[in-house]
Amino acid sequence: MNTIICNHCDMVLQQPSLTSGDVAKCTRCHRVVYKANLFKPNKMFALAITALMLSIPAYTFPLISIHLLGVTESTNLLLGAMMMVDIAPVVSFVILFCAVVAPLLLSVCIIFSSTCMMLNKRPMLLNYVLKLTSALRHWSMLEVYLISLMVAAFKLMNYADLSFDCGFYFFISLLIINMTMLSEYNNTKYWEYFHNE
Amino acid sequence: MNKSIVTGISAMQQGRQFCRTCNNHCSISEHKTYCPYCGSRISPRIKNSQQKTWALLLTAIVFIFPANLYPITYLLKNSTLYSDTIYSGIVSLIDSDMLGIAIIVFVASILVPILKIIALISILVIVHFKWQVSPKKQLIAFTVVDWIGRWSILDLFVISIMVAVFDRGHFLSVYPGIAATSFTVVVITTLFAAESFDTRLIWDVNTDAK
Repeated sequence: MNTIICNHCDMVLQQPSLTSGDVAKCTRCHRVVYKANLFKPNKMFALAITALMLSIPAYTFPLISIHLLGVTESTNLLLGAMMMVDIAPVVSFVILFCAVVAPLLLSVCIIFSSTCMMLNKRPMLLNYVLKLTSALRHWSMLEVYLISLMVAAFKLMNYADLSFDCGFYFFISLLIINMTMLSEYNNTKYWEYFHNE
Repeated sequence: MNKSIVTGISAMQQGRQFCRTCNNHCSISEHKTYCPYCGSRISPRIKNSQQKTWALLLTAIVFIFPANLYPITYLLKNSTLYSDTIYSGIVSLIDSDMLGIAIIVFVASILVPILKIIALISILVIVHFKWQVSPKKQLIAFTVVDWIGRWSILDLFVISIMVAVFDRGHFLSVYPGIAATSFTVVVITTLFAAESFDTRLIWDVNTDAK
């Protein structure tokens, strides 16, 4: 009999036999303790590679542009975060980390661990990559950025005409891929793989 | 795995500890510092969880005052400088008939940080004085706070977009104020406070609660 421990309340539970798509909840705190999703490393790899490729246009192409007195100004995500480096370095660093560094690193980590799994290799580096992945998961805040973009757009409408540029659509696609990747990611499966030599 | 381990009571009472990194469990007495599976630091509960959370929360409380009282953005319009605090920004949004946006900004930048601090402090106090409060309710409060906490970073993203859009503007420019940095400190410390709090402590207080 296999036992699992709930990481929310430390209850010892019997590992249930689940069919794909089921989730097991803790009997005491009713939080999810175990997910039995169909796990395919090549699917994760494909998602992560797509996310990485989409990042380039999403971060560098103009997101929104405003037309004010005959002048058009546009901005992209990277520029927005870098602009404040000398005025408010802390703010700039946090924005850069949550909107750019964390999602990018997350994709790279998932590409690495999925490649290891597909090639059936277990380098020591995988251990650190998996730890990094679980630390980064909470810091990827692309969905918050999308809502912020909407709020900023409404605020800007007061001052000038505004239009969404191609970077915006790339950003939305990146967001969708990133969210899918995060919800499909199953930490336990990678660790199980890492330990079962 | 281990036959002597029984279901229905907490792992710590049976001398087992759970590794939060790799989801494996091992004996507390045999593995004092490192998890035998993934090599990361391990302890039955997060070490000094309450002290860490208190320290981070106190920092957040100190910084929440400058964050709300000082101007968060400066707007340079026709060579006049207008300053905006978080609150006055929301009021001006209401004035320009954008109630929905005003509510989003109000929830993200005023309500959430304050609620988060209050909720975490009450859970800490309940755990410290071992009051008999339904642990399930405490966990729900913690989960809500933990999930919603990331949304307070919204205001910072908005500022970054505004600053970037108006950068080369000759008619309008926006600069972040002192409050922007203070607000960042509030957001980051509360995020780390939620992360350093060990929810299992809630159940240690009343182990037989349902």
